[in-house]
Amino acid sequence: MNSKNIENKSIRLAFAETLFELAVKNPHLFVVNMGMRPSLYLDKFALRFKSRFIECGVAESNAAAVAAGLAATGKTVFLTTFACFSPSLNWAVIKQSICYNQKNIKIVGFHAGLMSGDLGATHQMLEDVALMRALPTMEVFAPLDAVEMVKMLPIIAHSSRPAYLRLPRISTPTIFPSKLSFTIGKSQILSAGKDVTILGYGPVLTQLFAPDFKKYSLEIINCSSLKPLDSETILKSIKKTGRCLVIEDHQKNGGLGDAVANLILSSGQKCKFLHLGVNDSFGQSALNYFDLYHHYGLSPLNIIQSLKSLLSKK
Amino acid sequence: MILLPAQKSHSLAPLSRQLRLDILDMINTAGGGHIGGSFSSIDILISLYNSGVFNFDKDHFILSAGHLCPALYAVLAYQGKIPREELLTYAQFGSRLQGHASLDTPGVEYASGSLGQGLSFSAGLALGDKNRHIVCLTTDGEHNEGQVWEAIAFANKYHQGNLINIVDCNGYQLGGSTRDIMPLDELASKYLHFGWTVTTVDGHNFYDLEKALKKAKSSTIYPACIIAKTVMGRGVSFMENKFEYHDVKKLPEDIYLAAKNELQKY
Repeated sequence: MNSKNIENKSIRLAFAETLFELAVKNPHLFVVNMGMRPSLYLDKFALRFKSRFIECGVAESNAAAVAAGLAATGKTVFLTTFACFSPSLNWAVIKQSICYNQKNIKIVGFHAGLMSGDLGATHQMLEDVALMRALPTMEVFAPLDAVEMVKMLPIIAHSSRPAYLRLPRISTPTIFPSKLSFTIGKSQILSAGKDVTILGYGPVLTQLFAPDFKKYSLEIINCSSLKPLDSETILKSIKKTGRCLVIEDHQKNGGLGDAVANLILSSGQKCKFLHLGVNDSFGQSALNYFDLYHHYGLSPLNIIQSLKSLLSKK
Repeated sequence: MILLPAQKSHSLAPLSRQLRLDILDMINTAGGGHIGGSFSSIDILISLYNSGVFNFDKDHFILSAGHLCPALYAVLAYQGKIPREELLTYAQFGSRLQGHASLDTPGVEYASGSLGQGLSFSAGLALGDKNRHIVCLTTDGEHNEGQVWEAIAFANKYHQGNLINIVDCNGYQLGGSTRDIMPLDELASKYLHFGWTVTTVDGHNFYDLEKALKKAKSSTIYPACIIAKTVMGRGVSFMENKFEYHDVKKLPEDIYLAAKNELQKY
């Protein structure tokens, strides 16, 4: 992949535009929103589909159960705000009114991860994957980039199961090959290699396509379907490389790394394993997310250190 | 207000006695359950399902306070939705009658237990199914939950004339009286200020309940609140207004027999 041609695009804008297109085709598609409309690029949707844009204000618990009630009447419902408010303030409502009541809601958490930058610890949602993975029946997805977002959204909208969709704030490199498709429960091998299996989700993974990584033979796997997780592809790759590095813009606790470590141990396969993520600490403000990635151990430099460590050990 | 005894001349009075006995046996067989609120809310449920004001094959009934499920199970058994003998499986392993209302039970439309969510769910239903009425049953203690107030504001914003919230106001919750725990003084006035219509009734009087349901159903723009003044543990004198009977463990034999004896004369 030629890094010079990589274009930066906004995943949340891609979400909003794709959702609008879906709503044109599906008159039963509703948005239940929680007060953050301009930041979510949903103005156009709200204007065009006024009766299908339900504004609850910053009342996340009510909104989650309103969405569930609406879904009970056969609507396709997207529940939208920042990830630090939903799915977090309303987690017990999601558990009872959505999951336990078998209601098909698509929860969309914007501004997830350290990429929300200047907003600081309260707004850098680093626990959402853990919270949503733990809920029975809930599926969890995080697009790599704007290209995958466009491919992913119609499939998630069509699915009959509740889902959580994790979106970052800023524009990020578009890496996802146009010939690849998105399938629930499947991950994609973005680059084939033999020495180290790299697993991750979201834009943090796009760092691996910088020239500095060219000298390594890396098998980079995009785990955008976090739950259900593609254990077959992951284990097959690890069998080949014998080394695994999981990287995530999320707490290490309860994230993809935990899921993969469990998968590997349960399979009986042997593998060298390292996990990069936020290690039991809060985020903080920074004008540039690179500073945060470096501080929390997610930058290209940290990744190279981990690769060296994995490759040196015998 | 002064609570009048349930009017014995009403045709639903014998049912009120029979279903109270069913609730007692259900909870006693299970070795525990939420008996106080089941006795305070049972007449509301009987009125809802038997007055003919609503048809819950089309309209929606949402039990927000899932711990009142023994009362709902007794009514659903009477409706023929579940066999009456199944009531005695309540809360046991493998039973369709869970310890809090769940979708396993035929006739239950919303699974609840964590308080404060049912009114929001009802408001969502009211948006999606505008041609039907949605009746939600909450409790006074449940109004501790902030989410209830979020839903009250929401229903006003969307002019949900097809939404009705009945509040079983028995004055008690698990930890004591609602007045001590978190006072709700002037609840009717609060609903009014939030843009709802409000009717306050004796929640054990079938004439009043039916009248209030009809009035609430006739509202077209405003969501309707029925504040049903009830007695916790109603029907068993030593359980009435005793918060210790919010949730009981296995009743001692003499207590069970004394309660049964009183209910047979109710």
